[in-house]
Amino acid sequence: MGRLFNQMTRGKKKLFAVSALMVMSCLLLLPIFLSVTAVAGGGGAPAGGPPADVVAAQKAAGEEGEAEKVEMGRDVYYKTEGPAIGMPAPVTEDNETFYPRYNFESRVLLWVANQQHLYYGSFVLAVPIFCMCIEFAGMVSKDKAMAKKYDQLAYDFIKISLTAYSLTAILGGILIFTFLTLYPAFFGYLSSIFRPVMHIYALTFVAESATLYIYYYGWDKMREGVLKWVHLSMSVILNVIGTVLMFLANSWIAFMMSPAGVDEQGRYLGNIWHVIHTALWNPLNVHRILGNMAFGGGVVAAYAAYRFLSSKTDEERAHYDWMGYIAMSLGVAFLIPLPFAGYWLMREVYAYRQQMGITLMGGLLAWLFIIQATMIGILFLTTNYYLWQALGRMTGGERFQKYIKYLVFILVVGLLVFITPHTIVMTPAELKAMGGQQHPVLGNYGVMSAKNGGINAIIMTTVLSFIWYQRGNRVPTVSWAKFGNIFMGCFFIIAQLNNVWLACYGYFIPANVRIGLSVPQVAGTLSCLLLMTPLNLAMLKNGRQLGPIRWGQIPPRSQYAIIMLATAFTWMMGLMGYIRSSVRLFWHVNEVMRDNSPWAYTHTIGFAANVISFNVLFFWISIMFVFWLGTLGAKKVPVPSPAGQPVPSPQSATGH
Amino acid sequence: MTWLKLVEGYMPMQMISELAVCILVFSIINYSLKRAGMGLPKFWAGIFVWCFVNLFYLKYRIYPPIPFSVRAIYGTVSACGIFMWVSGSQQEWEEFKRPIINVLDAKTGMTKFIRTALLILLPIGLWGFAYNSFLPSFDEPIELRTVHPAPPATTKVHGKTYVLQTAANPYRINPEGKYDQAYSNAHIVSQDMGRLMKDVKNPEDNPWDPNAKGYIKHVREGGEIFFQNCHFCHGDNLNGRGLWAFAFNPIPANFTDAGTIAQLQETFVFWRVAKGGIGLPGEGFPWASVMPPWEQHLTVDEIWKVIMFEYWHTGYYPRTWE
Repeated sequence: MGRLFNQMTRGKKKLFAVSALMVMSCLLLLPIFLSVTAVAGGGGAPAGGPPADVVAAQKAAGEEGEAEKVEMGRDVYYKTEGPAIGMPAPVTEDNETFYPRYNFESRVLLWVANQQHLYYGSFVLAVPIFCMCIEFAGMVSKDKAMAKKYDQLAYDFIKISLTAYSLTAILGGILIFTFLTLYPAFFGYLSSIFRPVMHIYALTFVAESATLYIYYYGWDKMREGVLKWVHLSMSVILNVIGTVLMFLANSWIAFMMSPAGVDEQGRYLGNIWHVIHTALWNPLNVHRILGNMAFGGGVVAAYAAYRFLSSKTDEERAHYDWMGYIAMSLGVAFLIPLPFAGYWLMREVYAYRQQMGITLMGGLLAWLFIIQATMIGILFLTTNYYLWQALGRMTGGERFQKYIKYLVFILVVGLLVFITPHTIVMTPAELKAMGGQQHPVLGNYGVMSAKNGGINAIIMTTVLSFIWYQRGNRVPTVSWAKFGNIFMGCFFIIAQLNNVWLACYGYFIPANVRIGLSVPQVAGTLSCLLLMTPLNLAMLKNGRQLGPIRWGQIPPRSQYAIIMLATAFTWMMGLMGYIRSSVRLFWHVNEVMRDNSPWAYTHTIGFAANVISFNVLFFWISIMFVFWLGTLGAKKVPVPSPAGQPVPSPQSATGH
Repeated sequence: MTWLKLVEGYMPMQMISELAVCILVFSIINYSLKRAGMGLPKFWAGIFVWCFVNLFYLKYRIYPPIPFSVRAIYGTVSACGIFMWVSGSQQEWEEFKRPIINVLDAKTGMTKFIRTALLILLPIGLWGFAYNSFLPSFDEPIELRTVHPAPPATTKVHGKTYVLQTAANPYRINPEGKYDQAYSNAHIVSQDMGRLMKDVKNPEDNPWDPNAKGYIKHVREGGEIFFQNCHFCHGDNLNGRGLWAFAFNPIPANFTDAGTIAQLQETFVFWRVAKGGIGLPGEGFPWASVMPPWEQHLTVDEIWKVIMFEYWHTGYYPRTWE
């Protein structure tokens, strides 16, 4: 009887806890719902104009000749008519009123503040997604030791994220102050257009903070049973809010690049959805989500690599080797689709404005894209290199290491094609010797058809390296193993041949058809990833294991590769941010509000590279500080493994 | 290397294939030598492959010569590739670095000699490099020229405003007189037809046919305009090597290159021809183009026709987005 009573009491407690959390979650999400309702209702009018319903009333009254007449405007993008209820975009001049300044370039100050905020923002948006995945993996793991390890890892991640979160908020404040003090006219205009969205943003930020704190501080309280699932659900809510937050911020930059919802004078036309949902908003959203995830994975992996290299014991090395592997895998999983999302974004940019596309890919900023291509190459090369090194910590991995040279050849050739510039830097003497701007042999590598072939060859090779890694210490024993191996081999060969053939064929057909060829090329690559990886896992199910994964016994070179990967991510992110912003040239808001500051010119490549490098350095120094802070608090010691036993692998190598 | 020609149209793949064959042959030879107990050590194999690719193949095999900036990129990437190869596994890495460690340890007379020589030669080499970099250069400075500056949204030619995103060539028409890019694409000159077009059987493809009508007639008219005005610089074969071409720096655009008109919308070319070098926008600096603004010499119709001829003759299609 007493036991039954206890059970009922415990059950009630759980029910109460679950109900309380649900109420809390609802309350946290309330601002979003309220704001969305407000947006759906028109969102009010920006500064400089009365609300839409008032306008409508005024309009009606105007018909009676009692109120002033409302002027109609035509949307610059959607081409719809609407009441011009906002103020026109200010016409600025180069003076202290419009552009207050220090004895320093305001644009660079804003650039640095913006980039640092973005770095931290990306990091704190990505890490909770990792936590969610890792916590879930721990919950569904049947191996209790592994479940604890996963849980510990997720906790370690969120602990780092929490300190970074505060820094993100501080940097966000610095960014707003920089805008307000150095670009008041522009920021005033932007905030007048986005007034309701900015309030939603602020409320969402509050909701995110509250959810994050409950998630972090409730970790121990909600460690078992139903409460653990509630805890996991909190991470889902946290990530939903985080993603909404990012989408809202993206709408501002998308508006600056491809404005909509305003007329030619920049007057708001009463439809806030048009202002948010501009031509480039969705491609930017997708690209940024993937980019953030890849970046976050890279940073955490670099943290693990640093800890690995400074480890004093085998146990520590094993833990951080494993942590680095998990973070790296998550990062790379999002890196692989990133070029496709980037391609979509560029395609939409071209479709939106031809001159914007040409400025980016063939004109003023084209050389920066070569640097970007080099960075992408570094990312994939280091990923492959890490996987090859990781084969060395598995018994049986040496079976594949002898074939590395062939993969190196494909990777190097793919990369060389991918980074060959269309506009070559050369001395006048070299130009005369070459006989023209384009080299008759290499010039062909400089255009899209070849470059698509190059990057797809690289990605396919990376997938193959990953499949080899999955097989490192395992041998398939299914009855159809031989057939499966032949099928996989043929599939990869045909996919590569298809890729190369289409890259060559692209030169002989019209450009619009050539653009379409990227679809079968990408389809081949994605098929390798999405079909061959599961097929490989199916073949390895219940396969013969040749030995355990010897966590921690990986050459230090692999960890330097991870650090290089993370640095390349950071550098590339800074570069692409600069490119995206620079493409507006002398416009604050493209074709709507002109930048008349003395800095409305495009920097030289060298100067831009120096500022990007400064940003990268500043970020890494500050994030090292964050990591160090993370080690100061009370540590949850990694689950010790029995003496002399290898640290348990997450499953087998095939588990990832 | 005149006995093995780079075949026009296949050169990019030919280069990759040749490199692949060379490396394959090297691998087979090295493998056979290894079997005979005389394999090349990893260290020397890596150095040999790098030198072969960068100092021999790319420098002497590929013609015209590849500018240094590109060879520097290739050299760096291939060095990274070779590093990845020689350090792919711990065993190979140990094998690769053994000669380096031996020299650093200097336990034998020979390694002692090499280490001493390196200690003397390296600073001298660095000194020479530093000395050379401080020498005054009389070469013209390198300019990162924007070959395709971004066009404006609209351009005004002979009093009429053209929206570059939506404008179309009025002469790119089918026999019914309607704008039809697919039709004109199907009637461009192809490599196997020969430039003089003597063997063309289909009258619709023959611009020299006195009865030619519609699209192909306009192509001929465009050709007449081209040879009256443009070929002096852009050349008979539209390859940028006209009579006056080498008086300019850079030389005029090579339309037969896949990276010029084949990459551009027809309206972009229209804007460039109409406005010439001096009409380039600010972000196109350094302009380095002496092309006259042809709107001062040609009518709008003539500009469209000459553009159509350029696409027809080179066998390329203007870029479209639909």
